[in-house]
Amino acid sequence: MNNLAALYPLLIIVAGALLVLLLEVFIRKENKNYLGFLSILFLVGCGFFCGHSWSKDYSYFNRVLYLDNLALFFALLFCVAVAFIILLSLKYISSQDANYGEIYALLLLALSGMMIMTSSSDLLVIFLGLEVLSISCYALAGLKRKDEKSGEAALKYFLLGSFASAFLVLGLAFLYGACQSLEIPVIIDYFRSGPGAGLLALLGVALVLVGFGFKIALVPFHMWTPDVYEGAPTPVTAFFSVGPKAAGFTVLLRVFLNFWQASSDANLIFWVLWVISVLTMTIGNLVALRQTNVKRILAYSSIAHAGYILVAILARDNSSLVFYLTAYLFMNIGAFAAVIGLSKKGKEYLELEDFAGIGFKYPWIGATFAVFLLSLAGFPPTAGFLAKFYVFSAAVRANLVPLVIIGVLASLVSVFYYLRIIVYMYMRESSREVDIDVENPALFLVLFLCLYGVLQLGIFPGNILALIKQAVSSLPLP
Amino acid sequence: MNFPILTFVTFFPLLGAILLIFVPGEKKNFLRYLVFFVALITFSVSLFLYFNFDSTAPEPQFVEKTAWLGYGINYHLGIDGISLFLIILTTFLFPIAFLSSWTYIQKKVKEYLIFMLLLETGIIGVFASLNLFLFYVFWEAMLIPMYFLIGVWGGPRRIYATLKFVLMTMFGSLLMLVSIFVLYSFYYKATGVYSFEIFDFYKLILNPQVQGWLFLGFALAFAIKVPMFPFHTWLPDAHVEAPTAGSVILAAVFLKMGTYGFLRFALPLFPDALEKFLPLLAILSLIGIIYGGLMALIQKDVKSLVAYSSVSHMGLIMLAVFSLNMEGIEGAIYQMLNHGLSTGALFLVVGILYERAHTRLIKDFGGVSSQMPVFSAFFLICMLSSVGLPGLNGFVGEVLCLFGVFTAHKVYAYLGVTTVIIAAAYLLWMYQRVMHGPITNEKVLTFKDMNKREIAYLVPIIIMMFWMGIYPQTFLRKMDVSVNHLLNRIHNRENVFVQEKNRAPLLMKEAALAEKALQEIKQDLDSPKGETR
Repeated sequence: MNNLAALYPLLIIVAGALLVLLLEVFIRKENKNYLGFLSILFLVGCGFFCGHSWSKDYSYFNRVLYLDNLALFFALLFCVAVAFIILLSLKYISSQDANYGEIYALLLLALSGMMIMTSSSDLLVIFLGLEVLSISCYALAGLKRKDEKSGEAALKYFLLGSFASAFLVLGLAFLYGACQSLEIPVIIDYFRSGPGAGLLALLGVALVLVGFGFKIALVPFHMWTPDVYEGAPTPVTAFFSVGPKAAGFTVLLRVFLNFWQASSDANLIFWVLWVISVLTMTIGNLVALRQTNVKRILAYSSIAHAGYILVAILARDNSSLVFYLTAYLFMNIGAFAAVIGLSKKGKEYLELEDFAGIGFKYPWIGATFAVFLLSLAGFPPTAGFLAKFYVFSAAVRANLVPLVIIGVLASLVSVFYYLRIIVYMYMRESSREVDIDVENPALFLVLFLCLYGVLQLGIFPGNILALIKQAVSSLPLP
Repeated sequence: MNFPILTFVTFFPLLGAILLIFVPGEKKNFLRYLVFFVALITFSVSLFLYFNFDSTAPEPQFVEKTAWLGYGINYHLGIDGISLFLIILTTFLFPIAFLSSWTYIQKKVKEYLIFMLLLETGIIGVFASLNLFLFYVFWEAMLIPMYFLIGVWGGPRRIYATLKFVLMTMFGSLLMLVSIFVLYSFYYKATGVYSFEIFDFYKLILNPQVQGWLFLGFALAFAIKVPMFPFHTWLPDAHVEAPTAGSVILAAVFLKMGTYGFLRFALPLFPDALEKFLPLLAILSLIGIIYGGLMALIQKDVKSLVAYSSVSHMGLIMLAVFSLNMEGIEGAIYQMLNHGLSTGALFLVVGILYERAHTRLIKDFGGVSSQMPVFSAFFLICMLSSVGLPGLNGFVGEVLCLFGVFTAHKVYAYLGVTTVIIAAAYLLWMYQRVMHGPITNEKVLTFKDMNKREIAYLVPIIIMMFWMGIYPQTFLRKMDVSVNHLLNRIHNRENVFVQEKNRAPLLMKEAALAEKALQEIKQDLDSPKGETR
């Protein structure tokens, strides 16, 4: 249904971003927190309109912007994620000497980019969304202006990111040349009908894959991840590990869902993705073993998780993919929240050694962090277990048994480094003076909401599963 | 009766753990009493299971089934004669474990008690689940509390021990998970229905090659847990480093999950593969028996001696399981309970010694019996129960096991019987070196005999040892029907399958049976008897 209402969620977010940007000039440094609260208000508004247009199939601009349930589900998810990130930033940015109100505006802009990506089926529009997202992300990575690492992260991200964007555009051009359109259904039709795709189209798909592979950090396009994750302000890292990844996977889901049985050429792409998935799972986890910086460990772990999610794409099981992304949001933001909690004015504790003994010293942060790590490692009864369970069982049903065996062995490797953090937290005596600022109600709110999410999704995910079922029902059947 | 006893028994400890979070950690004694009573209530409620258990019914009892996540994932609990006693063993040992760690654990008491309660829920859940998904959830979840118990309250090499324990166990269980997925997808393809129910999977007939792979997946997970010979390396480390109560639970109940897994899943699900791998498994069990016993002989540390004796005893249990006959499997289950009691008791005894001496090396002791006469009597009984002295529980179990093995394969029995000799050797020698002889260590002179608390928690175990040794009928008759049922399932399915071997790889048992019946009718009709009629 062509209706202006399709634009409301996006309009609210963009308006919010611009308003926050404007107000930033007039608000004094110590009152910057209000901008955060204002942004959350806009997020709530956006969420309201998303919920309101559920199952209504609003579209606008000739269906270029199309709010099917999947798009709405992800829009809601992104709103939750950004709200968590904002809550985490409130204290962090003032205590880490990065007190710029721009972070809220940039987060909202990134959100609008992600929403465009998930609610369009035209690759060109998706590219526009991706650029809005990426440029906001470059700026976010460099938010700690006086910190060298942060600057390095921003520059690295920007250079490699624009390189990847160039690949993506080139791929789009090839695809357009081959299919005369950038609409995803048309492209899939092209692959399914006719004598089979030509080299041009295949090259196009491959280049598009490179572009997105970069954004969601698949091996071998992951090189930027650890440095950027380490250098960026921690709440921003949390955002990077969740937001762009989920948006990128949604696009991949839309592109590849009906792709496989298209033609024999599609088989080639399938095996390429198979290999990428194996590489991503194994390399991500193996390299994480050697890290001593918790942020870097989480960076590599997020690479590995992208590998597991890719398994869902290969298995063509859309609901397990969406469930994985949902679960991943809660456990990963939760884990980063705990890392953020371990800081005080002007100082962050990020080395493994710093974590020694904190489990008993700060029981709540320690216990929740442990739960998030166990969830990331895939122990029941947490969300992480159920997410992996769904993905892998779908993959076995799709006859991908070798891939699943590699996947579970990779996750065994991951158990080691997740447990190593817990070993430090609970089983070693602290050797360093760690003294943190525990007065941070917003952070504890996020910790407990994420804990709730992880347990609810792990034990009684019924409602969310029903919602996901509705969300993916708008997709064409595989 | 509508009261969900099994759910109560499973989740009451969890409830206690949640309650404990809100009690301030300084009130150590209050916490200890609270937890002790939680465990005691769990135990008394679990006794209802025994008294209301119908020993003539082969079907699982006390069944509770509710839909949970859809796609065949149900909350489905129930017990039969095999799991009944393992659950009661668990609930019986936990109050004892809490008593035994009353003074041993002094730091972080609250966290310790919470993890112990979580562990209890996990273990009972494993034995009570009839849905494979639920089973796996408990199976994995229970690693977490054990990981913390060894890692936080363990000895000097605890971190190495706990990581090794978790990673090795997980390696097996993850491959088992893949096998579960494959079973699940086969079942779906065969019937069009999603299911994780164990009893649905029993009906699946798979072709031998697939069975082989799946069997390996399951058997590896269970073999690591038991632990069978090449996979036993985590056990001595974990046992030596774990706190006393942790070792007790580890030896008495944890290892039983492996044997239980074989009985519940690996044997009845994959009878053809079992046939193929039987010699290998039996030989590994034999190696375990002899190797474990020889290793126990040369240990310098009492606790690791008991740990290796576990490897040896579990080898005998596995050998009896693979005998696949009534005596063997009943003996194995009985011996599982015996091993739980006697090895648990030995760890408790070692714990008592350690609390006094702060060492476990055999050479540091000697002549202890003169200082601790009561203790020496208790130690003697526990030790003899582990050796298998007639009149005590170990004897009944070992005899049954060996009967079973003898019926199945004589050579295995000849070799397996060495366990009795070696066990007597290492245990008696250890007892002699620790308890008798001259006092070489000054410290021994300061040892005080057992206090009331220590007597209180060993007495119930001793009573059970005599009871199980003198009147085993109480226990055996409750498991007869279930074991028979299990054996039927293993052997009869083989027969059904032999006839259908060359057909489609996947058939429901019913379909196969129906077809067989049809053929018989046809033959009947074609036969001359039909004509004359």
